[in-house]
Amino acid sequence: MDPLRQDEFDSQACGSIAPKAKPCPRPKPGEAVGGCSFDGAQITLLPIMDAAHLVHGPIACAGNSWESRGTLSSGPSLSQYGFATDLTDSDIIFGGEKKLKDSIDYIAGRFAPPAIFVYSTCVTALTGEDMDAVCKEAADRIGIPVIPVNSPGFVGSKNLGNRLAGDALLQYVIGTGEPEPETDLGVNLIGEYNIAGEMWDIEKLMNSAGIAVTSRITGDARYKEITWAHRARVNMVVCSRALLGLAKEMESRYGIPYFEGSFYGAKETTYSLRQMAYLMNDREMERRVDRLTEREEARLGQELRPYRKLLRGKRAVLYTGGVKSWSVISALKELGVQVVGVGTNKSTEDDVRRIADRVGDDTEYIPEGGASRIIKTVRERKADIMIAGGRNMYVAMKEQIPFIDINQERHKAYAGYEGLLRLAKELTYSLANPIWKLAASPAPWDKEAPPYDR
Amino acid sequence: MTVNRRKKPASVNPMKIGQSLGAVLALQGCYRAMPLIHGSQGCSAFPKALLTRHFREPIAVQTSALQEMDVIFDANRNLEEALNLVLSKHRPDIIGIIGTELTDVAGVDYQNMLKSYKRERNLRGGLAFSVVLPDFRGSLESGFSSTVEAMIDEMIQQVGHRGQRSVNARQITLLPGSFLTPADVMELKEIISSFGFEVIALPDISTSLSGHLLTGFSPLTRGGVPLDSMLQSLQSGLTIAVGGSMERPARRLHNAIGTPYKVFEGAMGLKATDELLHFLHQISGEPVPLRYCWQRENLLDGMLDAHFQFAGMSVVAALEPDHLHSVSGWLEELGVEQKALITSFETPLIAGMKREVWVGDLDDAEVLGKGADLWISNSHGIAGAQRTGAAFMPAGFPVWNELGAYMSVSVGYRGAMEWSNKAGNLFMQREAGSRESSVRHR
Ligand code: SF4
Repeated sequence: MDPLRQDEFDSQACGSIAPKAKPCPRPKPGEAVGGCSFDGAQITLLPIMDAAHLVHGPIACAGNSWESRGTLSSGPSLSQYGFATDLTDSDIIFGGEKKLKDSIDYIAGRFAPPAIFVYSTCVTALTGEDMDAVCKEAADRIGIPVIPVNSPGFVGSKNLGNRLAGDALLQYVIGTGEPEPETDLGVNLIGEYNIAGEMWDIEKLMNSAGIAVTSRITGDARYKEITWAHRARVNMVVCSRALLGLAKEMESRYGIPYFEGSFYGAKETTYSLRQMAYLMNDREMERRVDRLTEREEARLGQELRPYRKLLRGKRAVLYTGGVKSWSVISALKELGVQVVGVGTNKSTEDDVRRIADRVGDDTEYIPEGGASRIIKTVRERKADIMIAGGRNMYVAMKEQIPFIDINQERHKAYAGYEGLLRLAKELTYSLANPIWKLAASPAPWDKEAPPYDR
Repeated sequence: MTVNRRKKPASVNPMKIGQSLGAVLALQGCYRAMPLIHGSQGCSAFPKALLTRHFREPIAVQTSALQEMDVIFDANRNLEEALNLVLSKHRPDIIGIIGTELTDVAGVDYQNMLKSYKRERNLRGGLAFSVVLPDFRGSLESGFSSTVEAMIDEMIQQVGHRGQRSVNARQITLLPGSFLTPADVMELKEIISSFGFEVIALPDISTSLSGHLLTGFSPLTRGGVPLDSMLQSLQSGLTIAVGGSMERPARRLHNAIGTPYKVFEGAMGLKATDELLHFLHQISGEPVPLRYCWQRENLLDGMLDAHFQFAGMSVVAALEPDHLHSVSGWLEELGVEQKALITSFETPLIAGMKREVWVGDLDDAEVLGKGADLWISNSHGIAGAQRTGAAFMPAGFPVWNELGAYMSVSVGYRGAMEWSNKAGNLFMQREAGSRESSVRHR
């Protein structure tokens, strides 16, 4: 077992190497929800758009998972190709290493990517293949980086997979390249995956304050820019506890200060931009940020007015694993929406504290998954809307509960000032849709008294 | 004619789908059922997400949530825990335990474990069975049909010892293949029952995944064929299987309890529908209902109207084996060129086809189907179709770029009409598009 993984089992850390992190609970057979570590590793690395991502294992791991994320690209799309070694019976018996080697050669020869990420899966981890050695040998032979990602599904949760992917970046990518001379150095965005194009909104905002993005880790990234991430002046960990370890390690290795922030809600956005300028230690930049955030907040306030009127006093249940609950709570609060129930199953103690700071006393914490539990909370707390991931969307539809998708599969960008406005609009559209009244009213013949005794 | 494979080590843009997903799909067609995947949690989370995305419905599925150490030491402890929890909390009527590549490679014997579990707990009244479905064999289609077979096996065992079987000649068991949509299953049930038969579909996704607003949350399936109907199906006078993959479960019924069966390789297009209706007419002695006679006329008239659109056009289709066979037959009737046919794995039906078929992936479709005017595949093919410049027609699984795909009909005259119009419209739009772009602006 490699040392990075060993540390995982020692500390039982889940998504964070901070000592306070609570141990990863063992998923309960018969009641487990959520993806595997392999899934988590893919979420983190697939947004490196020009790289090839090869899944080493039987077909289902890749076949069932490709093209399932809403992460967008502004250019190359190789990462949207589904590559798999697609092991068969005989590969299992005779070993899959040869096929892996051939697959790497084939992809390199035909698509000429800047790098190939190779993901282990349960079966290839179980049969004890030496994937690291195959990757290393291949990299030497073909002259491009071939990066093993040791995150087979059965080692744990999605969060752990995020972190193992971060470890792979630290070990094999970051620090292996140097920025082009004309590159303006600034901030690494860590844990922002450009879902629905959120990255683009954020980058636009940063640029108008004169802050450059050094490396996107990994939303709409190119492989090259991650190799020089160690030259950034600041790291921002965006809504992903799982990659906090990456930021910490970069601080100790390269002396890059980091902070945790979010772009959900105007307040958090302003705070994050200020933090960047502050940590860059640039007075002029701080002044620019102040001017920008004041202007944006004022404009947003104007535009939000009609929606705020409609949303005031509305009650929501928020259930999300993908993005930090607390930052979404802030955004909702700014719109006047009260969060009456919130999922905490993936939150760390820090997160829970932050949630507690932001919600009232009558908010219910939902510690465990399960759609029935969420629905119960919606009913009991008389919530008007449910905000959760795609998995629970159709459960909500069946119960005729207005719903907004907040996780990776969604098609709407909610980050930054523009994003808050979009969120306000989506909430309003969803609540005001005529379908809720129509679905609740029975067919005319059902309204009549029954013609016979039932 | 021939089944070919292109030589390449990696699968590029796979269309093959894990067998276990097929099993989960089959179990959605049974009422108050719970598929339990014996593997790590990702192996249930991915199928759940994908099926949800395609059907836009909640999907019932659970997992034994194996972790690394469980696999090495005692995977069945997890299974037992999962069974205990599911049984005590949700009381399903049907449990299907689906073995994965993980339990296969680790050599976990859950079949015997299930047997002793049932004995020890004195499990009666429900249906609990297991099926071995590693992902390094077959695809969605084989996972689906193997699960139906295992289900039937278990049903026979449960009632088998009760002696002589009484036969209800007016009752037919329908075994619909995995490529049929909920609306297809509904249409087949209607067609068969219009000849005066009672139909029990096994499984029946037409009442579970067709989008009904049953309220009241349940982690179990919320529709499908109920257990008592399933058991009652053993009294049917005849089995009708649709899709080559469903022959084995039909044969199993025949061998065990003697139910005669008839396999229709598909029910798409004029000829296939003719055959089905003619058969039903013969065995029932009833006339073919007027509405199908009308639909036949409508279809022929529609095909006449559309044949101008199809002339000189070529198509590439990449689908699961049974589905590909059906679609190819339909394309034949349209008179279009079948540039390339690609499927996920080889089956006897595919091997016996008159045309050349390739076993491969969507990348093969791109290479072999270069220059085709129309591309038929699941939604993963959108990008490939774009790159080759073909019009894209979603079909199979998964389809996420179209609303109501799961309610579209492909079987019967109505289905042929719907598909022909859809394809014809795509050609027309494409033509209009190219005319548009040929206009030069100064
Ligand atoms: S749990 Fe393992 S086998 Fe299942 S999808 Fe995840 S990596 Fe693949």
